Amino acid sequence: MIVQVIAAVVGTTAFALLFEVPRQYYMTCGVIGGIGWFLYLFMVEKLGLTAVEATFIATVVVVLMSRFSAVKERCPATIFSIPGIFPLIPGGGIYWTAHYIVLNQYDKAMESGMEAAKAAFALVLGIIVVFEIPQKLFKIQRKETGKKQGE
Amino acid sequence: MEGKRTDDSRVLEATMKAGEILLQSGAEISRVEETMIRISNYFGVDSKEFFVLSNGIFVTGGKHSKEYAKVRHVPVKGAQLSKVVAVNQLSREVEEGKYSIEEVEQRLEEIEHMSGKSFQSQIIAASIGSSAFCCLFGGGPLDCVAALIAGFLVQIFILKVRIPYLSKITGNVGGGALVTLVCILCYQAGIGNNLNHMIVGSVIPLIPGVAFINGIREIADEDYISGSVRLLDALLGFLCIAIGVGVMLGLFHRITGGILS
Repeated sequence: MIVQVIAAVVGTTAFALLFEVPRQYYMTCGVIGGIGWFLYLFMVEKLGLTAVEATFIATVVVVLMSRFSAVKERCPATIFSIPGIFPLIPGGGIYWTAHYIVLNQYDKAMESGMEAAKAAFALVLGIIVVFEIPQKLFKIQRKETGKKQGE
Repeated sequence: MEGKRTDDSRVLEATMKAGEILLQSGAEISRVEETMIRISNYFGVDSKEFFVLSNGIFVTGGKHSKEYAKVRHVPVKGAQLSKVVAVNQLSREVEEGKYSIEEVEQRLEEIEHMSGKSFQSQIIAASIGSSAFCCLFGGGPLDCVAALIAGFLVQIFILKVRIPYLSKITGNVGGGALVTLVCILCYQAGIGNNLNHMIVGSVIPLIPGVAFINGIREIADEDYISGSVRLLDALLGFLCIAIGVGVMLGLFHRITGGILS
């Protein structure tokens, strides 16, 4: 698991570079991506949550952290949230769907396709929920921990 | 709001420029509008209308003697988030009164020509990113090596073939197919044991992440027209990559007679 989290940090940073995030923010991007993926893995493997639930919660945390960093660094939140969310995109699900369609196993394709769609909706919902929180709350000193506000 | 009185159309021209850079580099609509309003407010343009879509900006305004009206088409380019950050920063500094209109024009010019990351560093980033994502999805060390090779080649394909010559649809189908081909070849050559992880990892550089996230945000902001355009762009991207992967997998499946995974 540690290796995978490190991979998430490295991967997120690499994509921050590809999207031309300014250099001074690489670290933050990497850390946010790493924490997001750690949470996802932890929830799926240790707490036994489904991929959909884990995606939602991890997305909420990633976007929350992006918004806090954005206020702190005085720059747009997108530059942190775009790379940070990359590991959570259900790439695997989309791949399996294509794979099963090719093998003519439509029932399995349907299953993994729906699973990927659900995870994608969880991702979308997570992003929307956090971006709806008014900017003001991020400027006031953090009274509550990040997770509470995501509800 | 102690903005100096300057020529309105000049201010609006600079505002338009700022909006154009933002939109091109992957900012969301609400940010583009906000920044344009911020700059023009500071310089005291009091009657103006901005209408921003995902690929165009409409501006009218100015005192009735000097009407300013302009429409500009802004084609969608790749993400260059550093420009978004720079313009955002500029607009805040303008608000603090640090710049005259001449300086703003000059700064915008500089930002517009800010050089992107070099070819080499983009390729290196994509290869490392691909192999990191392969590992993240559970691939072993050899799988990561294969993903590194595939990511390397696919990024060259993106920069040298897809962007200059191909439409997004063919580009993504081709990219997906290329990744799959490279991964299958590596797999057959004994590099990597898990084809699935290899492909999922190395397909990542193709994924339209910026369009996807901006699309969602714009829909959430009720900018439905721009949001749906961008979301369609992103979903089409996902679909085309999947088609490319699927076609190539199917082809090899047929050749090898079902031995594949």
